[in-house]
Amino acid sequence: MATPGFGGKILLVDLTSKEITRLDTDQYAMYGGGHGTSTALFWEYSVAPGKWNLDDAFHPLNMVFLMTGAVSGTGIPFAARTSVSGMSPQCYPIQWWCHSNFGGTFAAMLKLAGWDGVAVIGKADSPVYINIVDDKVTIENAKDLWGMTTWKCQEEIWKRTGVRYGTDWQQLDGGYTLQRPSIVTIGAAGENMTRVASLIHGGGSGAGQGGFGGVFGSKNLKAVAVVGSGSLKIADPKALVDAKEKYFKGLPGGGGFGGGGNDISSCCAGCGMGSRMCHNRNRSYSADSDDCAESTWFSITKEQSNGVQLPRDINQKGTDIIQQFGINGMETCFQGPMSFPTSHNKDFPIQPNIPAYSALGWYMKTMYDMKIIGPGTKFDTAPLPFDKFPSQEFMEVYGRAIANREGFGRLLGEGTARLAEALGRTDDFNTLCRLTMWGFMDHWSMPNVEWAYANLLDSRDINSHDISWGRGDAEQAVKNYAAATLGNEPLWFDYTWQGDQAYKTGIYSKYKAEWVAWHIHYWNYYKESVGFCDWGYCNIGPNGRTPTAEPTFLNAITGRNHSFKDGLEIGRRAWNLKRAIFVMQGRHKNMENFTGYHYKPGASYCGFYNNLPILNGDKWEIQNCKELYFTREGIDQFKTHFYNVEGWNPNSGYPTRKTLAELGLPKVADYLQSKNKLG
Amino acid sequence: MARDGNNVPEKAEKKKFSRRDFVVGSGTAIAGGALAVIATTTPVAVADDKGTYPLSTKYLVYDSKHCAGCYGCMIACSMAHDGEVSFSLSRIQMHRAVLNEYPFDIIMHVCKQCPEPLCVKYCPVGACHISAENGNIRMINAEKCIGCQTCIKMCPQTPHRTIWNPKAKKSTKCDLCTNTPFFNRKGGVDGAQACVEACPKKVLKVVDKLPLETGGYEVDLAPPAPKGGFPFGGGGAKPKPKEGA
Repeated sequence: MATPGFGGKILLVDLTSKEITRLDTDQYAMYGGGHGTSTALFWEYSVAPGKWNLDDAFHPLNMVFLMTGAVSGTGIPFAARTSVSGMSPQCYPIQWWCHSNFGGTFAAMLKLAGWDGVAVIGKADSPVYINIVDDKVTIENAKDLWGMTTWKCQEEIWKRTGVRYGTDWQQLDGGYTLQRPSIVTIGAAGENMTRVASLIHGGGSGAGQGGFGGVFGSKNLKAVAVVGSGSLKIADPKALVDAKEKYFKGLPGGGGFGGGGNDISSCCAGCGMGSRMCHNRNRSYSADSDDCAESTWFSITKEQSNGVQLPRDINQKGTDIIQQFGINGMETCFQGPMSFPTSHNKDFPIQPNIPAYSALGWYMKTMYDMKIIGPGTKFDTAPLPFDKFPSQEFMEVYGRAIANREGFGRLLGEGTARLAEALGRTDDFNTLCRLTMWGFMDHWSMPNVEWAYANLLDSRDINSHDISWGRGDAEQAVKNYAAATLGNEPLWFDYTWQGDQAYKTGIYSKYKAEWVAWHIHYWNYYKESVGFCDWGYCNIGPNGRTPTAEPTFLNAITGRNHSFKDGLEIGRRAWNLKRAIFVMQGRHKNMENFTGYHYKPGASYCGFYNNLPILNGDKWEIQNCKELYFTREGIDQFKTHFYNVEGWNPNSGYPTRKTLAELGLPKVADYLQSKNKLG
Repeated sequence: MARDGNNVPEKAEKKKFSRRDFVVGSGTAIAGGALAVIATTTPVAVADDKGTYPLSTKYLVYDSKHCAGCYGCMIACSMAHDGEVSFSLSRIQMHRAVLNEYPFDIIMHVCKQCPEPLCVKYCPVGACHISAENGNIRMINAEKCIGCQTCIKMCPQTPHRTIWNPKAKKSTKCDLCTNTPFFNRKGGVDGAQACVEACPKKVLKVVDKLPLETGGYEVDLAPPAPKGGFPFGGGGAKPKPKEGA
């Protein structure tokens, strides 16, 4: 009998041997589901056997995971995510163990089919897709699907059953349903193993960061389809409904990203009471496609388009292109939704404006303008029609070139970091690219240093929008945070970044290290493993949901009676196991350094939330910290504090036996010791 | 009486009593018109001496054009009635055809509490019944249900609104939350409905007029569209339903 809230089993598919295995979900409960459970399975099936060097995300022994958490599919808001994990081809220079996630209906449908996750290892001889119908799993021929767009592929798989979805009840193994299979698939960008390829589900739910579309492509895996007619047990249904009413009453759905006005929005399964709806139903060019940052893929300001004002609907057309090709919109965009004036610092290398995302499109165009690529250089930019920039024609050719690796697209498909490397310009990471340390473009991570620190200590832009301070009463805000985290330490929230105080209580102090550890443990469990959405959690404030909503929902669903701190401890366990994987891939204290721009004035100019609490004498103040940047000495001290907080060796950053044993991971300690990597 | 099941017509009456018949025959004459013909040829369960059934006093209507497709109604329904999350057990069905153009991307189906309830009429054991004490809602008594699926076969709607529970091996249907052991509110005609309560977009509503007299079960319930929208701030494309939608 499965624990309430779970399907009870995890599907393991070996595409090389075609072997299909059912794993017991409860055996991995100590890792929390989602990314945590994926981390444990990756260790067990890919790392611990020691059969390869963990150096190539396209290697057949890399794994890709589609995993749900306890809250996925249970009908509560901000809780529909499917966690994606695997070694990432996008990470630079090392293809770290990494993670992403996507919304929609996939997680709910997977659980209603009786599965908590799908783990894939190996490589098929020819294109296949995995078809899950309740308890029945088959590996299907996908030769005729290969080459199709993500949308066409889904439509073809739906057609194969001959069912009139939505109007005819269809009988499955376990019962009846009106629903069509939920499908996650790849487009040309994934098939051609670009490092900027997304997984796409429905019209616009996607897992972009990490480049897991390319991992699917490397395995000849076109799609995973699932339809379920079963039920999900809930330990205390009334308590779950009560909790939903308590925490979300009066929080009606809002407008979609990039929309509003007359847009009619839609959302993920079970959500809809959040502060926003993430999809749009009635845009001119598609349904369900225009979603979050992808809707700004080709948004370019007049300043950066020689005065050309693009028609608004080009964004929507552009969104459809990247969704259908399965391209990571954020990684390949031209500047994101906005830019930031830098006139107060004329020395900053990007003038007159800093794009929010100095991603692949921005960097390519900048290189062209600087005559590093294009006519007269050794880098032929065909087929890109730069003379027609920024037209719709250019946009379409750009998307196609990346996805198919056509001409210059061969380099573009490698992503921004590797493009810069091919051009011999990795110094641009410090200036023009604004790439974080693992090859991901920056994403407003500064001056909220817990976001930036986690980018450094994890393997990607952690995409964490959860901490914002506003302009209210600083002392009260700090008290709220101290109470809500259960840390009860106001100094966790001193963002002083200059002078001695930065080292004593500010951004380089042990207090900050403790806060960053808390934040990492939180999102490792509650967001990446349990399945809570970043737009809803954590939520701290006078009427915030954290720390009571998380365990209230979880306990109503599972009946496990976990405390909030129990969850943090599970997050810590999964984080430490992840650290062990990083260490096996070569992670060391010496390489955990920010890229150069983090140490320069201007590092925080793209900060979305600049107002931070500062302890001024004995008085708390909210100050605008847009000038915040790091010092190398400070980061060195921070790392030492952080490793100590985590119980890692402060000189290497390796986990220690004591810490791993305390977390119930003694075999992991044994393994690290056998490789001379124990801290 | 048809309750022995022997007199249940296989397809003929279901076909005769199609959705289109409802629409064409809408209005007060419906009960005494085409349906009376049926009543004269086949004995009925609880019809009056004119062969008509008491109308339900409440009906669930919906606005699929402003639905967010969140499945909240379906999950709330199965949770309230069965204590489980299930799309398949939900008495209200919403289907997302995510790649279809608006408004064909979302299809909704609710039990219409039919004026002439064939599920009631042909139930061989009286499990399907009209509950006078609950506003004449068409309900299924689970204890009496023998799992013959006649009510499913005879439901005039496509897809059928009577739901099969394969584990319990019994039929069920929308009772406007009259019997909801896992719902923390008073349900039924004088109470709340789990789906209505769960809907974040307020596109479900219980009304007391037979919708066939007021234009149908698909209605416009849309609240004013939210203003703004990050990062552009409003001005999205207007709904462009296809002709004939």
